[in-house]
Amino acid sequence: MAGAKAAVKKQHYSKRDYKGLLYLLPWLVGFAVLQLYPFITSFIYSFNDYTVGGTLNFVGLANYKELFTHDREFWNSLKVTILFALYTVPGKVILALLVAIFLNRNIRGINLIRTLYYIPSLFGGSVAIALLWRLMFMDNGVFNTMMTKLGLPNVSFLGDTKLALPTICMLEIWQFGSSMVMLLAALKNVPKELYEAADIDGGGKFAKFWHITIPQISPILFFTLLNQTIQEIQNFTSPYTITGGGPLKATNVLGIMLYKQGFSYFKMGYASAISWIEFVIILVFTLVLFGSSKFWVHYADE
Amino acid sequence: MRKIEKKKQISDEDLKQKASVLDYIIIVVIGVILLYPLVWMFFATFKDNSEIFGSVSLWPKVWHPENYIDGWKGSAGFTYTKFFLNTFILVIPTTLLTLVSSTLVAYGFARFNLPHKKLLFTLLLAMMMLPNTVVIIPRYLLYNKFQWVDSYMPFYAPAILCCNSFFPYMIIQFLRGIPRDLDESAYIDGCSSWTTLWKIILPLMKPALFSAGLFQFLWTYNDYFNSLIFINSVKKYPISLAVRLSLDSESVVQWGKVMAMSFVAVVPLMILFFAAQKYFVEGIATSGMKN
Amino acid sequence: MKKKTISLVLAAMMSIGMLAGCGSSSSADSSAAQSTEAAESATQAETTAATDASGNVTLRFAWWGGDERNEATQAVIDQYEEAHPGVTIEAEPGSNDGYHDKLATQLASGTAPDIVQIDPETMPTFVDAGDYFVDLNTTSIDMSTFDADYIAQRVNGNFDGKQLGLPTGIAGPAFLVDTTKAEQFGIDLTKEGITWEDWIDYAKKVQEQDPETYLFCANKEYITNLFVYPLAKQYGGPIFDEDGKLVTTEETLTKVFTYVKELYDSKAVAPASYQASYVGDDIQADANWIAGKYVVAPCYISTMDVMVAANPNDEYTAGALPVMADAKDDGFASNTPQLLSITNSCKNPEVAADFLNYFFNDEKAQETLGATRSVPPTEQARKICEEDGKISQVVTDATTNAMALNGTPNDKISSSSEAKAILFDTVEAIGYGQMSPEEAAATVIDEFSALQK
Repeated sequence: MAGAKAAVKKQHYSKRDYKGLLYLLPWLVGFAVLQLYPFITSFIYSFNDYTVGGTLNFVGLANYKELFTHDREFWNSLKVTILFALYTVPGKVILALLVAIFLNRNIRGINLIRTLYYIPSLFGGSVAIALLWRLMFMDNGVFNTMMTKLGLPNVSFLGDTKLALPTICMLEIWQFGSSMVMLLAALKNVPKELYEAADIDGGGKFAKFWHITIPQISPILFFTLLNQTIQEIQNFTSPYTITGGGPLKATNVLGIMLYKQGFSYFKMGYASAISWIEFVIILVFTLVLFGSSKFWVHYADE
Repeated sequence: MRKIEKKKQISDEDLKQKASVLDYIIIVVIGVILLYPLVWMFFATFKDNSEIFGSVSLWPKVWHPENYIDGWKGSAGFTYTKFFLNTFILVIPTTLLTLVSSTLVAYGFARFNLPHKKLLFTLLLAMMMLPNTVVIIPRYLLYNKFQWVDSYMPFYAPAILCCNSFFPYMIIQFLRGIPRDLDESAYIDGCSSWTTLWKIILPLMKPALFSAGLFQFLWTYNDYFNSLIFINSVKKYPISLAVRLSLDSESVVQWGKVMAMSFVAVVPLMILFFAAQKYFVEGIATSGMKN
Repeated sequence: MKKKTISLVLAAMMSIGMLAGCGSSSSADSSAAQSTEAAESATQAETTAATDASGNVTLRFAWWGGDERNEATQAVIDQYEEAHPGVTIEAEPGSNDGYHDKLATQLASGTAPDIVQIDPETMPTFVDAGDYFVDLNTTSIDMSTFDADYIAQRVNGNFDGKQLGLPTGIAGPAFLVDTTKAEQFGIDLTKEGITWEDWIDYAKKVQEQDPETYLFCANKEYITNLFVYPLAKQYGGPIFDEDGKLVTTEETLTKVFTYVKELYDSKAVAPASYQASYVGDDIQADANWIAGKYVVAPCYISTMDVMVAANPNDEYTAGALPVMADAKDDGFASNTPQLLSITNSCKNPEVAADFLNYFFNDEKAQETLGATRSVPPTEQARKICEEDGKISQVVTDATTNAMALNGTPNDKISSSSEAKAILFDTVEAIGYGQMSPEEAAATVIDEFSALQK
């Protein structure tokens, strides 16, 4: 078997390789027809002074220069975006992992429990949820009233420049369901005999988790991390709908800047420049993650 | 092959697991923390504006079940029956098409030594990294040229052409967790790559496919921005647009009604998730090969 | 012919979809449903694009609004369709959230609806971006029913002599006074010749009697719109001139922001951190307003009834608007809450114009629409509304107050969303004590200089 595998690997560009492209066909067509054009267009826009509906006016690097040297919001937004991702991604993934492990068993009512835990995520970025979060955390909201009853001082969750961002991150973390589902599916795929073997060897619970579970689900864990990083760096719905980027720009992520420039001020050229900077940030995070993956992600097909 | 049969056995034994009282206490505590805001919201659907904004108590002082009745009547001459129907016509094909295309693409990436594989894979990933906000205008211009605006094609076409890289990539990751020996040996036994995918890989991928399908269903269902830009006529509005239909700063917005309809909108999702559960639990158990 | 090719492509796409989904019967079913849907939408596109063979006309009409406006507008559409067989008007109502984002995309790609409702302060941006709207002077709409001076203003749709939109009503700044509370605190907000300083004194008086009550229910957006702009204009005239040059001075703005700081310091408004939970137009949801912990709601004529509805137990009246003795400009100006325009991509502008004529001038239409777009713009419609009791007393009073003043509407640069955002941020920074009025003025001058033409 091993020999056959090696042989397949060695055959460079064999007939079978080209057959693989056949399976890729939907995406290849989609890429060429639907994706490449918007992708390149936005890149071109970023070097132009372009108002939606107006004409392209080539300005070279001016948009980028303006961002880096003149725009008062940019550096703050960059910081907020990275903080937002740094709070949310680990928070969400760790919570999702813990809950997934805890719920990965067949006890009575497990279906119902999982469904209940998943409900917050079902609402997505619904208007009702943005309103709900505000009602929960505003100065005279549900949480502050509870704290008053418990004799604790009131906290301006959404009005304090230090607390507003974490409060919004909590909403994101609260909706950990999709990561949980993915990790749950990965846990289901861990061959049980690995644990049995460990039982025979007398491994403890933690050792089993560390040496069996984590490596076995590492491809999905890696993917969850990667995907969440990409999503959260781009995210703007919750800060936009809850605090509108305030107070004092404390939640003004790049996504909000981008949205305002593009859709409120119609400056698509400038917005595109911001989005390409976002692209580069995501790329850097992605490369770091991929770099680290060599040390901890184990693929069964290698 | 023996290996897999064994897995099935153990999985069945698994079903007999018992939970301790402590487990249930933990489950309940976490559940209460997670769900309290939603329970609050549920009761808020029966309140009027002055109570939603002016009082923090859970229980409504005066019950307004008419929030649901009036809410269902919708706005602009269409009821939620129509909006729900639209949503399913939009979401179900999108989900199925996504599953088909991403499975094929993921299989291609995970199991073949493609020419320029690294480059192709990088491109696939790169497509996830540019914010939707900025590509939506060129995309709109493109779809408009195809005359797809105000139809559901802007959702179907990217689905069949596998344009949300999240899905193929997710399935690739799952595939890479499945030992290659399995399909390698089937391939050597003379199965075509198609048969290998159909007979061996697909059954193993059930949990992954169910989660991918669930996500696509959920995301398309909740997608406000794309629906807003691509759908014009009310008669084609999906729920995500319908819920916001009468939000206006110059009118009294009945937030109880908006929340009630947001809640109703989530019910099909809850049912779907609950039903899909079965397949997660089965997982590997049903995927043993009949040999 | 082109359409045929596209439907062929569509059909091909669909059949691929069917093939791909052949594994399960349910997906085949839904693919079938989807292809009929697609076919439907293809025919849709065709009829929408132009008049069909039998001379039938389809128009698209987009607006945003609440339930009442949606129903009234739909009813007028139905009436018009009944009276004009062969004309179909497709309604495209939406929420005001994201409405203009979408409209911008549609205008840029020539797919905008034939008749569109537009926010008058966003309109200049669209007019600058391209030649998107039909000059209504060239159409059959009877505009003699409107007040000529009113529709001649840029903010009401007149751009360099071209009537690119018609005002749907009369709105403008209003200060809604909760008289129950005002009497309780012993302050008179309706007195003639009220001054800006009076407000600060009143605020202190309110705070002395009840530290939990504030004079004004306002957030940074409302402070900007109802205090900063009128003050800036009263102190120093317009902010930008007709040619788009920045003409206001740092000195003027320092005075304006000193007043803003006073609002916060004297607790005339709630602390900035409290306001942070109510972004944009959310003040109708302010828990303290609902609980009766404010005396005055600075708002618009078009939103007064909304504010009253949020706390319906008290009595209300329209407050007086302060104008300083040596004001360069009255500062407060009435304008329309929305414009209705016909887009240039409209294939049947004459039919669209005929519909708008019906919409604005037909008695039955006026009766149906009532005051769903604020106080109607024509004399006749106002009369009908008054007879029907559709306009509340506070709104009538506020309209009288606003019409009595002759303020210049905000110029197109300072009313752009970009300029507004700069002011919102500055007001907030003052509220948080992060900027002194002098720093604020310097910052705004610096950022506004970049916006001038």
